Amino acid sequence: MSKAIEIRNYCYKYSDSTVALKDINLSVEHGERVVLIGANGAGKSTLLLAMGGFVKGEGEIIIDGVELKRKNLKKIRTVIGSCLENPDDQLFMPTLFDDIAFGPMNMGCDADEVKKRVEQALATVGLGSMGHKAGHHLSAGQKRAAALATILSMSPSVITLDEPDGSLDPRNRNNITALLKGLEQTLIIATCNMNFAAAIADRAVLIDDGCIAADGVAEEILYDRELMVGYGLEVPGGSG
Amino acid sequence: MHHAHIDKFAYQDSPIHRLDSRVKFIVVMVFTFLVISLPVDSFGILFCYAVWPFAILVIGRIPLKFAFKQVLIVSPFILFLALSYPFYERGLVRTEFGPWNFEISLGWVKCFTISGKFTVTVLALIALVSTTKFSNLLSGLGRLGFPKLLVMQLGFLYRYIFVLIDKAQHILMARSSRRMRSLGVKREVKVAASMAGSLLIRSIDSAEKINIAMQARGFSGTWKSVNEQKFRRGDLLFALVCGAFIMALHFIVRPFLI
Amino acid sequence: MHMLNELLSVPVAAGTLAVAGGGIAFICRKVGKVITSEKVALMGIMGAFVFAAQMVNIPLPGMPGTSGHMVGAVLLAIILGPHAAAIAITSVVMVQCLIFQDGGLLALGCNIINMGLVPCYLGYYVYKLISAGKSGSVRIYVAAMAACLVAIETGAILVPVEALLSGVLSVPFLTFLKTMVAVHLIIGLIEGVITVGVLGYLQQVRGDIFSFGAGGKIRMSKRKVMVTFLIFTVVIGAGLSLLASDKPDGLEWSYADRPDQMDFEPMVSNGDAKIEAVDKFQAEYSPMPDYSIRSSEEVSAAWTSFAGVVGAILTMGFIWGIARIIRSNDKKGFGN
Repeated sequence: MSKAIEIRNYCYKYSDSTVALKDINLSVEHGERVVLIGANGAGKSTLLLAMGGFVKGEGEIIIDGVELKRKNLKKIRTVIGSCLENPDDQLFMPTLFDDIAFGPMNMGCDADEVKKRVEQALATVGLGSMGHKAGHHLSAGQKRAAALATILSMSPSVITLDEPDGSLDPRNRNNITALLKGLEQTLIIATCNMNFAAAIADRAVLIDDGCIAADGVAEEILYDRELMVGYGLEVPGGSG
Repeated sequence: MHHAHIDKFAYQDSPIHRLDSRVKFIVVMVFTFLVISLPVDSFGILFCYAVWPFAILVIGRIPLKFAFKQVLIVSPFILFLALSYPFYERGLVRTEFGPWNFEISLGWVKCFTISGKFTVTVLALIALVSTTKFSNLLSGLGRLGFPKLLVMQLGFLYRYIFVLIDKAQHILMARSSRRMRSLGVKREVKVAASMAGSLLIRSIDSAEKINIAMQARGFSGTWKSVNEQKFRRGDLLFALVCGAFIMALHFIVRPFLI
Repeated sequence: MHMLNELLSVPVAAGTLAVAGGGIAFICRKVGKVITSEKVALMGIMGAFVFAAQMVNIPLPGMPGTSGHMVGAVLLAIILGPHAAAIAITSVVMVQCLIFQDGGLLALGCNIINMGLVPCYLGYYVYKLISAGKSGSVRIYVAAMAACLVAIETGAILVPVEALLSGVLSVPFLTFLKTMVAVHLIIGLIEGVITVGVLGYLQQVRGDIFSFGAGGKIRMSKRKVMVTFLIFTVVIGAGLSLLASDKPDGLEWSYADRPDQMDFEPMVSNGDAKIEAVDKFQAEYSPMPDYSIRSSEEVSAAWTSFAGVVGAILTMGFIWGIARIIRSNDKKGFGN
């Protein structure tokens, strides 16, 4: 069986030829929960965008057996769901229902199927009765959950999330942690919050200056004080 | 910042809220046309027309205070114009109203009528939008034949005005927290232009992100939507009642009063 | 400046709605064929930007307590190109009407024309004409300034013209026109200054943004644009002149004395059913029939009108009372 994600020798340069990602090699098994950690600007978000096929670099990316190529883009987007950093960018339709229905509808599902998927996604993220709400009627925590639901309704096998814990209070962060841990999909999560990373991940990948600096079992990497502090990070717990 | 108050009443529930948005939209449109077609001295009959928006607001459980406040907010321009009538048409006319018999200048009659028309039509509009979720209104407009691109555009607008107004308010706060005195015209303009410019750049950046979010969910340029509203018996009943009311006013009451 | 329902007659409202609706439908069809998802998102958010940018105000010199803000049509036309900008501004005008009740439902047609179509297209072509495609020079600032002034003034002049066609004005047309022109001179200047400022800021910070608009895929060929523009002008012109002739003078004087009686006797009566029908239509919809208030001999009119008002107020009281009773019985509802 194919791996969930297989990245080989991937490089990406910005249009001004600044190197953003250098020689990335990464392979992720199905069902793994991986956190990408690293300082601001290390290349975490770019790597997530690369997996979704939104930036085009050199090298090979294979998601769930589908090679990332221009002609495969449509197919790729049914197997990998990308959740952006700012939920306001993710939720662009007048109501939550429309937003969650957007993906399935573009996949060509019929009306009943779309409705079923929306209801299921809403129930999974615990917003069961909120389908008719508009974006500006949702709280920050609800927006995060809703953004995730827009991806879940497409039932991808891999989900990438960019800072899903951003600007959330502890309670909402715990909610989203529990929510993510309950999912069976492969998760790739970029975050700067090591407590969150420790709570959620099986595996941690440390990215620095566009390269993978460390890759291994989450507990070993996250609690390696020397390694973490060396890359401008911190270990979970303590001062937070 | 909390913006939900602007359209919170549209999210209530009442028999009016449950109606098909197309029916409500068309009825309000016809109603407005008829009010506007009233002659300029027909102050009295406006009260009869006012019954309709009033009934919708009351049945739809929209607080009248909210509705009238909204009318006041949008009224400055029309008030300004209406109040200019008495200056231009000073000729006195004898007017009789029930037991009263008095002279009043034509300008004032027109002034009252035009403000009255304004109040009635704006109330009707408020009755429509505060009993209809904007998304339902949009899907209704779409099915009434409005261009898809425009409906989609309106949807985006409804979603993002509140987001961007927040950003604008933050920028404004940042300006006022640092501006201790008037800076002079040239500087003020420069500051305002930079603020608008940075707002613009942020908007463009979000547009790029939204584009990614849309593509991530398989958007290929054609807009699809699930049709949730159905034309039901209640809608037919509403249309008939409103139609009967409007027709009765127009063909039976109106010839008497005008 | 938003046009209002009350300044329009039914034919003018209907005519402008038709022109605006037709124009927008045409533009949407054209643009919809070539639009990319990138443009869709950009257009959508640009409309919202215009909303937010209107909150950024600058205090007016010499007039303490007042402040001006930008309208944004010309800026959008420069960045997005006129077609996409026209759609974006149209949606802004519609949202202003439907969510904030700014400008009436029937006046939507006028508002879309005055504040959307005319400023976007006129502003864009004035800008193109003067800037002549040379970026980075003082020339584009002059071009933007001129575009704003022309666009805003033209839109403003249309307001009294539409009101004149409707015949609802009691303020003399020229006074209204002069006031609008004077006020919008200031508004246009502010618009121009801020637009130029924003363009300058953009060139400093993100020069690439300029490449979005005029180019891109939305643009039709130059000839097509000119033809479209021409057709559009002709349609508007023809529409407006039709509306103007909608009130033929010959018919009007015939019932000048009793304008609002359904059963009046036209002085000029030739028994032609068509003319009668027109007369009747005129009597009913005539925007401002030459005015006369009923003479005092019609006592009954005073009482019917009184009865109408009292009846209406009683009805409203009745509805309100019933609703109160129902609501107090039905506590589980959404109370307010």
